[in-house]
Amino acid sequence: MIEAENSIVIGAPIGNVWDYVRDISRWANLFPGCRECTVIDDRNSRWVIKVGAGGLVRTVNVMVRVERWDGPERVDFSYALEAEPVVGSGSYVASMKEPHETQITLKVRVEGSGSMAPMWEAVSRPLLPQLAKGFSGTLKTEIENGATAAVASASATPARPSPVRLTAAWLRRTWQKLFG
Amino acid sequence: MIRNLPAKWDLEADVVAVGSGGGGLAAAITAHDHGASALVLERSDQVGGVTAYSMGEVWIPGNHLEAALGIEDSPESGFAYIKRLSMGYGDDLAILNQMVHGPVALRFFEERIGLKMCVVRDLPDYYYPHVEASLAEGRCLEALPFPAQTLGDWQSRTRLSPHVPYGMTHEDIFHNGGMANMMKWDYSVMAERLAKDERCAGPGLAAYFVKGVLDRGIAMHTGVDVQELVVDGGRVVGLRASVDGRDLFVRANRGVVIAVSSYERNPGYAKTLGHQLDPVSMVMPTIDGAHLRLAGQVGARIARVPDVSMLGFHVPGEEQEDEVALWRGALPFMGLPHTIVVNRAGKRFANEAFYRSVYFGLGAIDGATQTHPNYPCWAIFDSQAREKYPFGSVMPGEELPEAMGVTAHSIAELAARIGVDAHGLADTVARFNDYSARGEDPEFARGTFPWGALMCGDPLQQPNANLGPLLEAPFHAVRLHQMAGGGIAATGIMADHHCRAIGWDDEPIEGLYVAGNSVARLDNGALMQSGITNARGMTHGYLAGRHAAGHPSELLQEERLRLGLRERA
Repeated sequence: MIEAENSIVIGAPIGNVWDYVRDISRWANLFPGCRECTVIDDRNSRWVIKVGAGGLVRTVNVMVRVERWDGPERVDFSYALEAEPVVGSGSYVASMKEPHETQITLKVRVEGSGSMAPMWEAVSRPLLPQLAKGFSGTLKTEIENGATAAVASASATPARPSPVRLTAAWLRRTWQKLFG
Repeated sequence: MIRNLPAKWDLEADVVAVGSGGGGLAAAITAHDHGASALVLERSDQVGGVTAYSMGEVWIPGNHLEAALGIEDSPESGFAYIKRLSMGYGDDLAILNQMVHGPVALRFFEERIGLKMCVVRDLPDYYYPHVEASLAEGRCLEALPFPAQTLGDWQSRTRLSPHVPYGMTHEDIFHNGGMANMMKWDYSVMAERLAKDERCAGPGLAAYFVKGVLDRGIAMHTGVDVQELVVDGGRVVGLRASVDGRDLFVRANRGVVIAVSSYERNPGYAKTLGHQLDPVSMVMPTIDGAHLRLAGQVGARIARVPDVSMLGFHVPGEEQEDEVALWRGALPFMGLPHTIVVNRAGKRFANEAFYRSVYFGLGAIDGATQTHPNYPCWAIFDSQAREKYPFGSVMPGEELPEAMGVTAHSIAELAARIGVDAHGLADTVARFNDYSARGEDPEFARGTFPWGALMCGDPLQQPNANLGPLLEAPFHAVRLHQMAGGGIAATGIMADHHCRAIGWDDEPIEGLYVAGNSVARLDNGALMQSGITNARGMTHGYLAGRHAAGHPSELLQEERLRLGLRERA
């Protein structure tokens, strides 16, 4: 078995980060080489990934299962390649570093099985850190860009709320009072 | 007389190498070290060319590394070997030129760029021991692992190979059961090399030359698609290239060296110049005959030698760059035990463990029916082969993907499903099984070429590395497709002994050089031998670089006089 870990600080509150990562299809969109993600249910999805290694690009189908949704701090997952004897697991751990900063740590493990397991693990060893780093980096960029866009949008808001906004806010408050 | 000079030049060097495989890089390095400035232009976005796609073997008779091991050999012996096997389709002086300069070029690059090579122990010449002057080992060299992190920014821009296990040397592979026995390899070595990006085989060999170029400050430009030569009267003085749709004029004060491999990605060229009908290819999409278009513009002469098509297959889901389907060569798998190759009649037609035999058989034409009796063809194997051996990237024990082949519970069912004569196939399998029990193949002599036993067989299989019966269901069939030569082509541009392109008047075209697979194979004739191609690229680059820099080699004349050969055959 081989393992890779990557930590990164995202310039956004932990709640915002969680709002982003709680949707598994977003994970797939950020994963390097992922071309397609079919969400089967809340826990299971099937990803089609193009993995590039050493001049070879290979399309692999991967079944991904979220073993534990424990947001906003933790997600545990497992996966299995459909055509190769390769399985794996991993975790996403988030913690508040500052009110507007979240540290995330992504761990990924790969395990080959059968007589060619050593080969699969040898090939995966240099790939895995790249994948973990690529995923974390893209996640950071996506969320921070989203946060920047939100900030930009907020700063562009007129100091005096418009009647439409006031009405919408009143409706939201009323709805919450009535239905919790 | 052509005169197409531009109003102004965008770049300038004494020697401009077009193509960044071994030939182009060797030319640039040699020119630089003989006092000329140089630059390298590459059409794709990665350097290393077909050299980086190869197994990295370099075949040089009479090299000093075999001498250091006490192996007796000489360029003269290499000349005798090639001349005999070229069947008269080669040119004596061209053969001698390669034999004489191969060892010299090797030493030059060892000393100048730190190229580190070793003898691949126990790897014989193709035709050993059947042909005089063949050797059991010594001529085939490979690069020692190259630390690719030293390439800096060019690390990721120096090509790797989807075809070879570049984390392993030949020695690593041979000492652990050979190509067939992947289950016995020591993957801890591979893991460490891949983690540190230490490159073996073709990617390693190419990387040494890329490093040599970088160390000299020779500029390499990628994404440069050369469109035409710039000619001033009878002399090539530069070229026009296209970069992102814009023209780039590059002046070459002393010469342009075209080293862009062959034409196999151009179906029209493959058909008319190589007699290959819609071949698939294992090389990159840019190998489409640019050398012919460029040199043809100034009347360069082409020549053709007898050549073969190879066989290949596609593993579903595998691509190379630009989302082009990846085709793998069938050579290492056809001659494995429990495996045969048959035609529509269900008959074997060649020694599957010696690709020269299979591929010449493949091209045969039945004059009575005007058909190719041996194409299409299929690799047929049983579950024993599947359990023990890889087939391309389908690892031992893995199921054969449905889209790749057919699996059946009997030979009869298999024949029916692939449209092969069932009686013919049953008869062939029965006879092959009998041969396997006896350990000899009286029809096609499988297992009698030590090279084929090592590279296309299972060295652990007794008594014959290339024989084993097809007995155990399920049985499998993979349709094999005609495949071009992996950069090695029947036709190329004729060159003189300094690698100057020559015209139809047999005179050199001033300012134009060719190297590697772009050069007509008159130094091989009808022969191919693993490692010749990389040796040619390195040697041609050396010769072209020296001549263009004003320091031509005179060794051939000395050797010609010593051997009493005529100046031109």
